[in-house]
Amino acid sequence: MSARTSDRGFWREVLDGTLPVRAAMILLAGLFLGGIIHVVTVLGVPAHVPQTAYARISAFGPDGVFNRLPDVVPGAEPLPMLDPTMLHAACRFDLGRGPLKIEAALPPPFWSFALFNARGQAIYSLNDRTSGSGGRLDVLVITTEQLSVLRENPPEGLEDLIVIETDETMGYALLRAFDGEPLRRDIVEAALAEARCTVLAQQ
Amino acid sequence: MTIPVTTPVTMPASLPGRASGRLRGSGMRGSRRRASLPVNPEADGQMPDRLPAILRPRRRTFALNLALVLAIAVSVGFLSAYFAVERGPAFGTLNLGVWEARPSQGTREADPYSAATHARTGRVPLADGEGLVFLARTDSSGALLSPACDYVIAGQAAPARLWTLVPLDAGLRLVATQGPRAGLDSRHLLRRPDGEFTVTAAARARPGNWLPTAADAAGLVFALRLYDTPLTTGTGVANVPMPSIFRGDCR
Repeated sequence: MSARTSDRGFWREVLDGTLPVRAAMILLAGLFLGGIIHVVTVLGVPAHVPQTAYARISAFGPDGVFNRLPDVVPGAEPLPMLDPTMLHAACRFDLGRGPLKIEAALPPPFWSFALFNARGQAIYSLNDRTSGSGGRLDVLVITTEQLSVLRENPPEGLEDLIVIETDETMGYALLRAFDGEPLRRDIVEAALAEARCTVLAQQ
Repeated sequence: MTIPVTTPVTMPASLPGRASGRLRGSGMRGSRRRASLPVNPEADGQMPDRLPAILRPRRRTFALNLALVLAIAVSVGFLSAYFAVERGPAFGTLNLGVWEARPSQGTREADPYSAATHARTGRVPLADGEGLVFLARTDSSGALLSPACDYVIAGQAAPARLWTLVPLDAGLRLVATQGPRAGLDSRHLLRRPDGEFTVTAAARARPGNWLPTAADAAGLVFALRLYDTPLTTGTGVANVPMPSIFRGDCR
């Protein structure tokens, strides 16, 4: 009997419109909540990726120096989407230990420099033409607090540096040098090995 | 008014089923105590009161509704998020012919979908001061590129101080080819006097500008990286030449 009466109640709800309305409300509530879940999930993805480029670079050597990344060859790309016609060197840094000075003198025809934060997003970049000092790279990466300390006692040659003020304390710097001529590869390799990424002492 | 609410109301035998839920299941149907039914004074007590639907007591529980809402929310939310991150909606895409670039990808200005897609893959973007990566997944007739086919890439590239052309598989990984080099670059290219070039992408060596591909790769995508290009600053995007891709022989 109870089955029959609930059945009747069901059909009555269908007929008087309660059920479609309620179903629509449930669907609408579900979609709204689903939208919130969608947004939270998408926004949360970058913070929960285990294999960021920043994490992978630690496999190529210690932090705080430029490590030459292995050649970009099929099946053994050091990082995804690197250009196989370029030679790369990367330096992981932590500005909590002090401002970072990056120096390099790479040969033509092309090199570029980019700073990435720990989530792999580019925060600064330049190439040999926009570096403005005839192919030399002299960069100071610094937080706002460190810059205010530095301004009180500026080191000599500060005006020749490109000062990059950032709120990201952890990240990595990447140098790309074009490797077009096999005969000139030694020169590029030597220049990459000379690239410096040093933490400045700050009291 | 002499309507005796307490007097027994005579009801047709067919009515109790339609009566309000208060009666149902209370074991009173057989007891003839119909006087406890709410009666409708407007109908002279002849009809049982029919409450509006919205006021009728609910039998289906709140828990069931909540479970339904949550099931819809979780499935819709996570599935749509998964597909959005996996496929990546094309916000801020720069299309030049078959070539597609996402200038904001891998920067802090990237839209959340692009940022999520990018973070998941761990790819290293070309920052705007370095250059711009263009990808081609189809040929100029709109057909998906196939690693089993030869392609002719012809025309002119957008202005850049240096560009490189590299074949990748559908997952944007490098593929092992028979060639001695992984790609072509603009400094080692045979051009016609008018500056146009013709590149033949094939698994076997070809005369002229040969771009080695792998016939057994999983998919084919051409990556054209423009280094130090004015396109990254957003100037002069209109009427920028980009090479066309034509399909040749297939095996």
